[in-house]
Amino acid sequence: MATQVFKLPESLKGDVKYSFCPGCDHGVAVRLVAEVLDELGVRENTILAASIGCSVTIYDFINVDSLEAPHGRAMAEATGIKRARPDKIVFTYQGDGDFASIGLAESMHAALRGENITAICINNTTYGMTGGQLGPTTLVGQVTTTSPTGRNVDYYGYPIKIAEHIALCDGTAFSARVSLDTVANIKKAKQAIKKAFEVQIHGLGFGFVEILSTCPTNWKMSPEKAHERVRNEMMPVFKPGIYKDVTVQN
Amino acid sequence: MSRIVIDKEKCKACYLCINECPKQLIKISNDTNKLGVHTVEFNDPDNKCIGCAMCAMRCPDLAITEVYRG
Repeated sequence: MATQVFKLPESLKGDVKYSFCPGCDHGVAVRLVAEVLDELGVRENTILAASIGCSVTIYDFINVDSLEAPHGRAMAEATGIKRARPDKIVFTYQGDGDFASIGLAESMHAALRGENITAICINNTTYGMTGGQLGPTTLVGQVTTTSPTGRNVDYYGYPIKIAEHIALCDGTAFSARVSLDTVANIKKAKQAIKKAFEVQIHGLGFGFVEILSTCPTNWKMSPEKAHERVRNEMMPVFKPGIYKDVTVQN
Repeated sequence: MSRIVIDKEKCKACYLCINECPKQLIKISNDTNKLGVHTVEFNDPDNKCIGCAMCAMRCPDLAITEVYRG
């Protein structure tokens, strides 16, 4: 008798097809969030603050109540939702441009205030939805449509390491960076996302996970090559790991 | 008997699952779906599938909807 070892998470709308490009790791990240909501049994009690960018389409696929925020302001909106309804589980799902460039003030101060919310940030080193412009996490030397000769530090400065910065905030309970380049790392990513939700459920503070993802379309690479780039170019700069976890320190 | 179920209409032909299968049981199909792409197909005549579900965990479009082990 064969046992079912994999099924689609109940928190996802089953009949919906993703609108992401072929090979985009957003699909894996959305599935991991849905699986975590299933495992924690909090789907009925969860509110999503949606962002702007490719990440916004999560509300078409995930079966939770959601509100749209202006560009970068998802964290401010999530703060309002959580303070009005502290009994609810509130999370945001944002890209790196939304979280760390346009919404850096909102994101950083939410962490500094120790807001009891969870943030998932997808880092693909570019602005994916608008056509691959230079973003806050674009690697030094990386060619984008607005840095055609590569990111030059004299002109554009250095990429931001989000997980490290969030970990420095005193209100942060959990901050980690994970990758989706291999199945083993996908499993680690799920554990990190689960932990970020658990710190919220236990009222410990701000939970944050940065997910290294791919953008095969704007990187102009095959999905397989894009994962190699994550391994060889992104992971040496954006090192995966858990940067803060108050449950361990205590 | 272990097996996987592929929803071909969800497959966008990124082919990430092909390299993930330890038994090389997933191949590019001659058939196309409504998107007009050659989807993947699961072909396991010798019952080699071990039901590891690595293909399903890798698939970014949830086209591998079910995995059975046994």
